[in-house]
Amino acid sequence: MTDQTNNTGFDWASPSFQSHMKKRRRSQIQLKLLGLGAIAIAFMMLMLLITSLVSTGYHAFTQTHLKVEVFLDPEHLDPAKPARGNYRQILTDTMKTQFPDVPDDRAELRKLTSILSNGAQFTIRDRVMENPDLIGETVQFNVPVADTYDQLNKGLIDPDTPEEYRRLKNDEIANFELLKDRGAITEPLNTALLTNADSRFPELAGLKGALVGSFYALLTCFLLSFPLGIGAAIYLEEFAPRNRVSDLIEININNLAAVPSVVFGLLALAVFLGWFGMPRSAPFVGGMTLALMTLPTIIIATRAALKAVPPSIREAALAVGASKQQVVFGHVLPLAMPGILTGTIIGLAQALGETAPLLLIGMNAFITSAPSTPFDSATALPTQIFIWADSPERGFVSRTSAAILVLLTFLIMMNAIAIFLRQKFERKW
Amino acid sequence: MTMFDVTKPETAVDQTDIKIAASNVQVFYGDTQAIKDVDVDIQDKTVTAFIGPSGCGKSTFLRCLNRMNDTIDSCRVEGRILLDEQDIYAPQVDPVQLRAKVGMVFQKPNPFPKSIYDNVAYGPKIHGMARTKGELDEVVEKSLRRAALWEEVKDRLDTPGTGLSGGQQQRLCIARAVATRPEVLLMDEPCSALDPIATAQVEELIDELKQRFSVVIVTHSMQQAARVSQKTAFFHLGNLVEYDDTNTIFTNPQDPRTESYITGRIG
Amino acid sequence: MTLLAFVILLTAVTVGYVINLRAARAIRDGGTRMHSLESFHGGYAALMTLVPTFFLIIIWMLFQGTVIELIVKSGISDQLEGLGTGETQLVMAEIRSIAGGRIFGTPEQWKLDAAERLVALRGLSGWLLVAVTAALATTMLYVSRRTVSSEFRARQGVERIVHVLMAGCATVAIFVTIGIVASLLFETFRFFQMVPFWDFLLGTNWEPQIPIREDQVAAEGAFGMLPVFLGTLVIAFVAMVIATPIGLLSAIYLHEFASNRIRGVVKPVLEVLAGVPTVVYGFFAILVIAPAIRSFGTDLGLPIASNTALAAGSVMGIMLIPFISSFADDALGAVPRSLRDGSLAVGATQAETMLKVLFPAAIPGIVGGILLAISRAIGETMIVVMAAGLIAKMTINPLDSVTTVTVQIVTLLIGDTAFDSPKTLAAFALGMVLFLMTLCINILALRIVRKYREIYD
Repeated sequence: MTDQTNNTGFDWASPSFQSHMKKRRRSQIQLKLLGLGAIAIAFMMLMLLITSLVSTGYHAFTQTHLKVEVFLDPEHLDPAKPARGNYRQILTDTMKTQFPDVPDDRAELRKLTSILSNGAQFTIRDRVMENPDLIGETVQFNVPVADTYDQLNKGLIDPDTPEEYRRLKNDEIANFELLKDRGAITEPLNTALLTNADSRFPELAGLKGALVGSFYALLTCFLLSFPLGIGAAIYLEEFAPRNRVSDLIEININNLAAVPSVVFGLLALAVFLGWFGMPRSAPFVGGMTLALMTLPTIIIATRAALKAVPPSIREAALAVGASKQQVVFGHVLPLAMPGILTGTIIGLAQALGETAPLLLIGMNAFITSAPSTPFDSATALPTQIFIWADSPERGFVSRTSAAILVLLTFLIMMNAIAIFLRQKFERKW
Repeated sequence: MTMFDVTKPETAVDQTDIKIAASNVQVFYGDTQAIKDVDVDIQDKTVTAFIGPSGCGKSTFLRCLNRMNDTIDSCRVEGRILLDEQDIYAPQVDPVQLRAKVGMVFQKPNPFPKSIYDNVAYGPKIHGMARTKGELDEVVEKSLRRAALWEEVKDRLDTPGTGLSGGQQQRLCIARAVATRPEVLLMDEPCSALDPIATAQVEELIDELKQRFSVVIVTHSMQQAARVSQKTAFFHLGNLVEYDDTNTIFTNPQDPRTESYITGRIG
Repeated sequence: MTLLAFVILLTAVTVGYVINLRAARAIRDGGTRMHSLESFHGGYAALMTLVPTFFLIIIWMLFQGTVIELIVKSGISDQLEGLGTGETQLVMAEIRSIAGGRIFGTPEQWKLDAAERLVALRGLSGWLLVAVTAALATTMLYVSRRTVSSEFRARQGVERIVHVLMAGCATVAIFVTIGIVASLLFETFRFFQMVPFWDFLLGTNWEPQIPIREDQVAAEGAFGMLPVFLGTLVIAFVAMVIATPIGLLSAIYLHEFASNRIRGVVKPVLEVLAGVPTVVYGFFAILVIAPAIRSFGTDLGLPIASNTALAAGSVMGIMLIPFISSFADDALGAVPRSLRDGSLAVGATQAETMLKVLFPAAIPGIVGGILLAISRAIGETMIVVMAAGLIAKMTINPLDSVTTVTVQIVTLLIGDTAFDSPKTLAAFALGMVLFLMTLCINILALRIVRKYREIYD
C-alpha cells in the first residue's frame, strides 16, 4: 500500500505493524491447529475403540469344532431312558479311540476329554433323545472344543512362553496338533453366538437370552412410553393452560431427562419390586423402568415436532368448523408423525444401551435359557456384556467384544432408520 | 512518527480524488448472480449513496468493498475493485488489514456485550495501534467525539454498550468503526432501526464524517440519500442503472427506471 | 384369568360402540336431527367402558399379589412370630416356590398348607377379577346406552374423556418424580434410623461390610460418605479436565473454521461417539485404557493402582467430549451473526473474533453445558462400575484407586435386596445424595441456559 495517500495518519506499512500482523496470523493458525487437534483426538479415540473391539471381537465369530466318530455304546445308554445315559463315559471312550497311544490312566484321559467342550455331552444326548434308534451305532459329530483349545487354534496362545506360564502344556498342544493334522479340526461360523443362551463355558455362551430379553424390554418400553409420551406432549403443547402447573410439569420433564439412570434403577427396585412385588430380573419390569427414562425424550421430541407444524394448518382446519381435538388428531398429529417417530427411535436406541437400572432390578442374573414370556427372568444385551466383561475366562473377552459389536449394529440400524425417516419425510414449510 | 498524527494537513489530498474504483464486478451466491457488471468510482471525502428497491444488490455490492462477502461460504466475487489503485482482491492483500482501512456500520446496531470503552478500543487493541493505556484512552475519546457520543457517555465508559439507547448504540458502532482510523466508511442502512430523532443525529454525524473519510451509505430512503449524499448510485435487479451527482439523479434522471423509482412507481 | 378379563374388556368396548352407533343411527333414521355424529355416540360408549374397566384391571393386577401374600402371612402369623424381615421373606419365597410346584426337600406341613392357600387365593382372585370386570363393563355399557339421544353432546363427551386422559399422561412425569423422591426418602429415612445422620454425612470411613450372622467376627460397618463422595469428585474432575478443552476446541473449530464438508464428516462422528452405550466405554476402559496407563506408569516407575481413577475418568472424559462440543456449538450458534460481522468489519481475524467476541458472548450457554456434563459425570455408572475401584479411600490422587457413589450403589444392591439391612439402605441414602446433587446442578444449568437464550431471542 502506498504510504503517501494515507489521509488518516496511520502507517499500515510500518515494520512494527507488519510484525504485529504476523503475530496475529500466527495465533489464528494456532487456534485452528488446536481445534483440528481436538477433533483428531476425538477421531482417534473412536478409531481406537472400534479397532480394539473388532480386533478382539472377530475371534468370537468363529468357533473351533472337532469332528469325531462317536460310538453310542449301548452299555452306557438305556433306550428307555436316553436322558440318563453316561455320556461322559462315551466321550472318554471316543477320545481314547482317537489316541490309542496315550496310556490308559485317569489323568491322561481327563486331559484328552478336556479338549472337548463341556457341552459336547449335551449335543450327543440331544441327538440320542431325538432318535433313540441310534444307540449302538457309530455317529459322526461336530462338537465345539473347549475354550483354551479354541484360543490355541486361533493363535492366541503363544507357544514361545515358558511352559509353566502357559495354560496348555506341551503334550496337550501336541495332542491337539495331531487332531489338526488328521483334518478333524474345523473352524466354522459361530452360529451359537446368536442361537445359544448364556453359559459358564465361553465356547457355548450365546446371546439368545439377552437378545430376547432386550426385545421384550424394548417392546414394553415402547408400548408404555409411546402413547404416554405423545399424550403428554399433545396436552402440554396444544391444550394445557399456561399456568403454574404446566410450568411445573415442564421444568419437571426437563429435569427428569437429566436424572442419572441409576436413580431410575433405585426407583424401580423400591417401587416395582419392593412395593408392588413384581418379579425380579423380568424384562417386563426392565421395560417399565426404561419407559420412565425414555418418556422425557419422547415428550420433548414430540413437542418439537408439533411446534414445527405451522399454525396456518390449524387455523385452516378450525375455520371450517373442526373442534380443537379434531384439528390436532386429524391434521397436526399426522404431519408431526415423522418427527415423533424419529425422536422415539432415538429414545429407544438410548434405552437399548442402558445398563445401570437393569442391573439394579437383577437383569444381570445367570440364566441359561431364553425367556419365553416378558415375565420370565432374563438378561438384556448391555447387562450380558457387563456379565461377560466380568468373567475371568479368556474366551469371554472376545465374546464381550463380539456382543458389543452386535449391540452397536442394532444401535446403528435404529439410528439409520431414524435418519432415513427424518430425511424422507422432512417438510420445509 | 507518532502513532496518531492529527496535525498532518488534511488538505494534502485532492478533494475529487478517486478512492475506490470498481470495474466489471460480478457477485454470485452459489449459482444465482446477485450483481452484474457494476462499474463505479467512489470519490474521497464524499458521501456516496446507494439506493434502489430491496433485493437490488446494493448491500451485496457494499459488502464487496471490504470483502465482508468472504465470510459467506457460497459467495463468489469477480471483477476488479481498486482501493487507492490497489486491487483489494489481489492474493497478497489481507482482508483483515483491508477491513481496518474500510470500516463498516451495519443495519442493526451491533455493539459487543462489553463496556463502551472496550467496544471502541477493540479495533485499536487488536491492530496494536496503541502502545500504552494513555494512547488507547486518547483514541477512544477521539473516536467517541467523532461519533458525537463523548458528551453522553464520558462518565459511564465502564457500563455495557448494550445498555445504551438504539441511536446511541449505532453511534457507538460508528465510533468503533472510526477507531481503527479507516479511510472509507461503509454504512449499510445505518438508520433503518432508529427513530426519527436518532436518525437525524446520525445523519448530522455523517455530514461531519465526510470531512475525514469517504463515506458510502446504502439506504432505502430517498429522502435520506438526498439529504446526506453528494453522489448517488441507483441499483436495480443487480445492475447499476445510473450513477451521478445526487442533484442530477433526483432532478434530472437519465434512465426511465431511475425516474420511475424516484417518483415512486417501482420499488 | 387376566387374559380373560382383557378379552371381556375388548368385547365390551366393541359391543358398546356398535350398540350406541346403531341406536344413534336409528334415531337419525327416524328423522330426528342429531347433535353429534353417530360414530361419536359409539366412541363415547367405547371410552366410557374402556377407561374405568382398564384401570380397574391394572390396579387389581398391581395389588393382588401384595394382598394375597398379606392374607397368607396373617394365616401363618403364629409360625412367623419372632422371625426377622429377612427370614420372613425367605419363608414366603419358599411357600411361593412350593405353590409353583418346585418342592425342595420335605417342608413342614404348615408351609404346604400355606402354599395351598396361596394357590387357592390366586385362583379366587383371578375369578373375582373376571367377575368384577364383567360387572363393571356391563354397568358402563348400560349407563352409556342410556345417554343416546338427539340432544346428547357425544362429541363433547368423547373430547372431555380424551382431554382428561392426555392431562393424565402429562402428570405421569410428575408422578415419576414423586416416585423417585418418595422411594429415596422412605428408604433413606429407614437408613438414618440405623445409622446416625451426621456419621453418614461427615464420616471419613466407608466400610459397608456388615456381619451376616450374629456370631461372625467382622467389621462393625462404617457408613461415612465423605471418601465415596471425594472419589466421585476426583473421577468427575479427571473427566472434565479431558472433556472440556477437547470439547470446546472442537466446537470452536467446527463453528468457525470448518468447511461444510468437514462439518458433514465430523458431526456424525461425534454423534456416534455420543451414542455409544456407557457399558461399551466401561469395557473399553478395562480392555485398552487401564492397561495402557498401567504399563506407561510402570515404564516411568510410578506406583499405579490397578483400577486408577485416571483410567475411569479419562474414558468418561472421552464420553463427554461430544456432549460438551455440541452444547458449545449450539451456544456459539445462538450468538447473533451481527456480532461476528461487527468484529470482522473492524478487521479482527477469525481467531480474534472467536476468542474476544463470540466465545465470551456464548459463555453462559457454554457454562450451562459444562454444568450438565459435570452432572452426567457424577451420575455416570457403568464406566466406573467396571473400571474404578471398590474400596473407599480419602485421596485426591488420580493414580490411586477410588470408588464413587454410583459404584457403591450398584455393588451394594447387586444380588442382595433384603430391605432391612443398613447395607442395602445405605445405597438408597447414597442415591438420595446423588439425586440431590445432580438435581441442584441440573436446575442451575437449565436456568443459566434458558436465561441465556432469552438474551438473544
